[in-house]
Order: sequence, then structure tokens, then C-alpha cells
Amino acid sequence: MARVTIDLPSMLGNVLGGVRRIEAEGDTWTQALDDAFRKLPALRVHVCDETGALRRHVLCFVNDVNTRFGEGPPPRLRDGDRITIMQAVSGG
Amino acid sequence: MSTTLVLGTEKGAFLCRSKDRAKWTVEGPLFKGWKVTASTRTPGGRYLFATSSYVYGAALQTSTNLKDWKQVEKGPSYPKAKSDRQPTPGVAVGPGFEPRMNQIWTLAAAGKRLYAGADTAGLFTSDDDGESWQPVASLNDHPSRPNWFPGAGGLCLHSILVHGNRIWIGISAVGVWRSDDGGRSWTPKNKGVRHVIEDEKWKDIGFCVHGLASDPKEPDTIYRQDHAGFYISRNGGDTWDAAENGLPAGSVGMPGAKISASFGFPVAVDPHTKSLFIVPLESDEYRMPVDGKLRVYRSRDGGKSWEGLGEGLPNTPTYAGVLRGAMAVDAQKPCGVYFGTTSGQAFASADSGDTWRPLPCTLPRILHVAAYADR
Repeated sequence: MARVTIDLPSMLGNVLGGVRRIEAEGDTWTQALDDAFRKLPALRVHVCDETGALRRHVLCFVNDVNTRFGEGPPPRLRDGDRITIMQAVSGG
Repeated sequence: MSTTLVLGTEKGAFLCRSKDRAKWTVEGPLFKGWKVTASTRTPGGRYLFATSSYVYGAALQTSTNLKDWKQVEKGPSYPKAKSDRQPTPGVAVGPGFEPRMNQIWTLAAAGKRLYAGADTAGLFTSDDDGESWQPVASLNDHPSRPNWFPGAGGLCLHSILVHGNRIWIGISAVGVWRSDDGGRSWTPKNKGVRHVIEDEKWKDIGFCVHGLASDPKEPDTIYRQDHAGFYISRNGGDTWDAAENGLPAGSVGMPGAKISASFGFPVAVDPHTKSLFIVPLESDEYRMPVDGKLRVYRSRDGGKSWEGLGEGLPNTPTYAGVLRGAMAVDAQKPCGVYFGTTSGQAFASADSGDTWRPLPCTLPRILHVAAYADR
């Protein structure tokens, strides 16, 4: 499994004891997120909704690629990849 | 005795502290960027704050000292869902609707049990000082639920009163429900209150309760700020009577006509004198202080008559309202009364509302106010 970093937005840090980065492992970004949820269980409710999918206004990038784009199975992660959780631009 | 006020806002919580209830200091924000919608002190002496975000969902935060915080991992939650459909304002949720945890609207402690009320409407309890929470299925899965419809603030359970095995809850825009068996079964209690929308099948729902408070010495006397007026029940909610003598004339839209009624949201009770405090607003259309005069109204005779209190409140045109969770009293003598506005001003009275002074801050929209005596 690839070893990756998951960066969290500052707002999530404000309710998660200041945590802004998690080291995680997984072959895909969903596996890496599951690993992060195991390490920091309080994170899950903020990233996923009751359907288990990413919340409507939450985006997840693998390096520079938005995971909402693209079709087919998620690409395999490589060591050193960066996953970034961020708020979608939802109006303004 | 020193007092700590929690001001929960659209963008975080602020703490106002005072030793004499005259001079206040302001700290914060806690949970910067998050709505802070409710708080309570648990039977074990911890603080619980409810945080939510339209992006990142809702959770409970806990602390013993208001400095070091930890998120509750097994907080109130709904089961896994298949769709992400949200309720539509003014439309019953319909059969098969799957609730979601959008916001925790209220927290209450009674004995060793904690209660939480949520949007979408649901009641949750905790018997381990807030570490884990269970849904109250007898209410949350009530057969009338498909016919529940949201008010302007969402489909939310926002008020909880508890006395022994008797529990009252308020849901907008469904009404007041009472359990006489500790939450095993529930009955709507809205007789005497005007419907806001009458359901074809369930005639005893479709009421828009805004706020509830119980008499400190007679728990079956319940005060109800409703969409359709201010009401009092002296029999535990079995029947309700309007109690608006002296309140400014407001109006609310009802099917077929507009009627005169006192519109507003919060209601609080002095635990010693039983004085009532409310903030009437012009109408359900406008939701602003009447004629731009921000006034708290007090009743010292159990709702028979009301007087406007304004000494120390703004004399310039003020059109900011007060939301349902944004007023509180403390337990001192004379009782302190505190409220915050939708434009982020907050006011404190150390003499049961006779005089007021502004707190030294202008905050985001204030959603929640609570007063805690420091120990």
C-alpha cells in the first residue's frame, strides 16, 4: 500500500484538536481516507454524509486531481501522494 | 459568584465572563468558523457544545474547562442512508424519508440523562455523560413522521423540557409532544393553539412551536412562544390558552387571513420569581422588532400582563431580531437576563430586565446564549 499524506482544512482542525495532517496508507484515495478515519474517528462525520459518500460541499483532491472528476476505478496511489480535503466553492 | 456567558454564533463561540455582571470580558472565538448552536453542562460537570457547518456536518465538542476540547466520537447520528435528499421547506418529508444530522439544535440535562434535539427532527439521549448517544425511536420513527414538514428554520427539534418521566419536546413545524413514560411513547399536545398548516390525516400536528419553558415550581405549567402567538398551559400541555395582554400587536399569516398574534422565538423564566421574558417581533413576514424598537417583554404575573423593558437597550432604530436559542437567564438573585441579536449585539441585565447594558463586542449572528455560574 502507498503511504500518503492527507491535509485537512483549518476549519476541521478547529474541531479536531488542531490536527491538519494525517499520514495514511492505501491503494486508493478511498482506502487512504478509511485509514485516516481509523486513526482519527472524529474525522469521518465531517468528510462523509449518511450515505457514506463525500459530503456535498466537500472536495477531495489527489495531488492536483479532483476525485469527483474522472470515470472508472480510482487511480492507484503512489508513495508520497498528497490528498487534500477542502471546501467546495459553493456560492458567494 | 462569577458568571460565564456562552454566545454561540454563526462563526464560532465566544465566552463573556464577569464577576459582578456589570463588567464583562470577551474571549474567543472557539470553533472558529463553525456554527455553535447549543451548550449544556453535563451531570458529570463537563461542558458540551454543539457545532455544525453546512459543509462539514454536525458534532458535539466536550471540555471540562472551556479551554481543552475533544469531539464526541459517538455523538447523535442517524442510520446509514441511501439518498442525500434534504427536506423541502413547507413540504412534508413524505414516506421513506431518511433523516440526516444537519444540526444539533438543543441540549438538555436532567438527572443523569442528557438529551439532544436535532435537525432533521429527532431526539437523542445519553446516559454516560455525553460519551455516546442513542436515538429515541418512539419519537423519531413515529408513524406521523412522513407528514412532518419543516418550518423556515428547517425540520428541527429545538426544545426539550424534562420533569421526572414526563418529557416535552417542540418540533417546527410539527408541534409540542409529550411523553409520560420517560420517552417510550409520545402524544401531540397542541389543543388550543392555532394550526399553521393542517395535515389531512394527523389533525394534531402541523403546529409551529418556536420555544418552550417550564415553570420552575410547577412543572406542568408550560410557556410556549409559538408562530401563532404566546400560550400557556397549566395542565402539562393538555390545553393551551393565549396570554398576550400587553404585548405589541403583531400578525401572522394563517390560511385565509392574517390574524393578530404575538410572533417571536425565545422564552425564558426567572427561576426565583417566575417572571417570563420574551422578545416579540413584528410578524412572521418581517421577523423584526416592532417599529424598530428592540424590547424585551416581561410578565411578572404568570402571563396575565406584559411590560416592555428598554432601559439601556438601543434607542436608535434597531431591526435585528432575537433567535430562539439566543436568550437565557441565570440562577442568581436578582436573576440575570441575557440575549443576542441577529446582527451580533449582545445585552445583559443584572436586575431581572429592569436595566440593560451592551456586552463589549459585536459578533456574527448570535444563535445561542447560555449562562453558567462558575464553580
